[in-house]
Amino acid sequence: MQARGKNEGRGEVTGSAAAGASVRGFSAQLRGASLWDLVQMECLARSHRSVQVVGEGGVGYLYFDRGQIVHATTAQRSGEAAALEILDWTNGSFQSCERPWPTQATIRTSHEGLILQAAQLRDERSAGSNLVAFPARGVAGDELDRYEELELTELDETEVETEAAAEAEAAEGAIEMRSPVSDESARTPKPGANGTNGANSANGANAGRAELGPVGDFAVMMRLGPNGAVVSNRGGNEELAETVAYSHRLLQLTGELLGFEKFSAVECGFVDGRCIVFSDGDEVVTLRPRPEVNMQALRDRLGL
Amino acid sequence: MTGQEAVALGEGVRTSLATLKDLSGIAGSFVCTTSGRLIAREIPALFEDAVLAEAGSRLLRIGETFAASGDALEFAVVRYGENRLYLKAIAGGMLCIVVAGEVNMPALRMAANLVGRRIAPAVGRAQAELPPPTFEAPPQRPAPLPLPPAVAPSAPGAAAPTARRFRGRTVD
Repeated sequence: MQARGKNEGRGEVTGSAAAGASVRGFSAQLRGASLWDLVQMECLARSHRSVQVVGEGGVGYLYFDRGQIVHATTAQRSGEAAALEILDWTNGSFQSCERPWPTQATIRTSHEGLILQAAQLRDERSAGSNLVAFPARGVAGDELDRYEELELTELDETEVETEAAAEAEAAEGAIEMRSPVSDESARTPKPGANGTNGANSANGANAGRAELGPVGDFAVMMRLGPNGAVVSNRGGNEELAETVAYSHRLLQLTGELLGFEKFSAVECGFVDGRCIVFSDGDEVVTLRPRPEVNMQALRDRLGL
Repeated sequence: MTGQEAVALGEGVRTSLATLKDLSGIAGSFVCTTSGRLIAREIPALFEDAVLAEAGSRLLRIGETFAASGDALEFAVVRYGENRLYLKAIAGGMLCIVVAGEVNMPALRMAANLVGRRIAPAVGRAQAELPPPTFEAPPQRPAPLPLPPAVAPSAPGAAAPTARRFRGRTVD
């Protein structure tokens, strides 16, 4: 989220044309800031201004007054619904603008309350997707507490990838969605699953879900169904699905031959990378961690 | 390579495998060449040679599968409940280590690297000079009994059972 605006001085300017009238103060351009942070900054400053937010869902306007959001509009909505719609956006720009001030406030909920609601809605939307338990990165506390329900789902590449990650994947040629499931999923943005740029998650009410952990840590997350079909995919391709499906079968047979218990997981180390495959019920999950990722927590979790 | 040389080579590899048992939790290990020949084992007799050879052959195929998609397998850790297999790819074959229960994984990785390095020349030589394994032919099945001739309803002018017919006519 990029932010542009001017520090006009707390309490110095009031009135509907205030935002554009002042020429004093700093202008700023921030990259990587989350919308929720910017809203909190604006409320902390107790400014009186309208702000244009351009995000993946279009254009919206937030009206700030005395530390609260008092009005919001988007193309389709107005009031609190519009504010929640805007707060769900994860990428875009944020800049002050001149807008006609509403005759009366349409939002009574505090800005903290709105952000919490937005976070809750985001979580609820993502709850329906496939969940896999594997460890989050950098979460302090007891060993068992480090494992959270993390989302393994298709993600909108433009939404979740940092430029570096995108370059790495492009270099690997890994982003190739061939199956109909993958194609459809790739077109469907799932804002609940924030990416490496997910400052929203880190700072918001859903920070505990650590959704950005796997997205940032794994170049590939692929789930195969019992018949080998790609159920969900991010970063993988058809060739990897075939490789994993066959290898999984060979490992199953080897275990049976040696009289071992059921296959549960494998970590493969390659000359230039690693791959983890594990059974999740009838399905098989494949992860390709990025080279810099510390794998110990995941190994511990999978018994590798 | 003569038979005696092959035995000596296998014994040398087995000696190296025995050092892996310095680590607690190691049930045993075995080595297969890329062609699927079991050249050495240091594992309880519970696991028969044929079983180990077949398991090794499948595990090698996993490496080949990943190699086909551009990933050269260096090692793998496979989990089966309480048991684990540690696989170490070496030139000409694969070292397979069976782990039962808890093991110091960093120590195992280092031990596997050292043993792999030590046995690699012998494994490479075995792969190059020993003939590929001969698999036992399946037991001969008794020849199937001839099926009784189909009894066709006799029709006027029908040819004898041994006669051949073409477009309704009897031909020689």
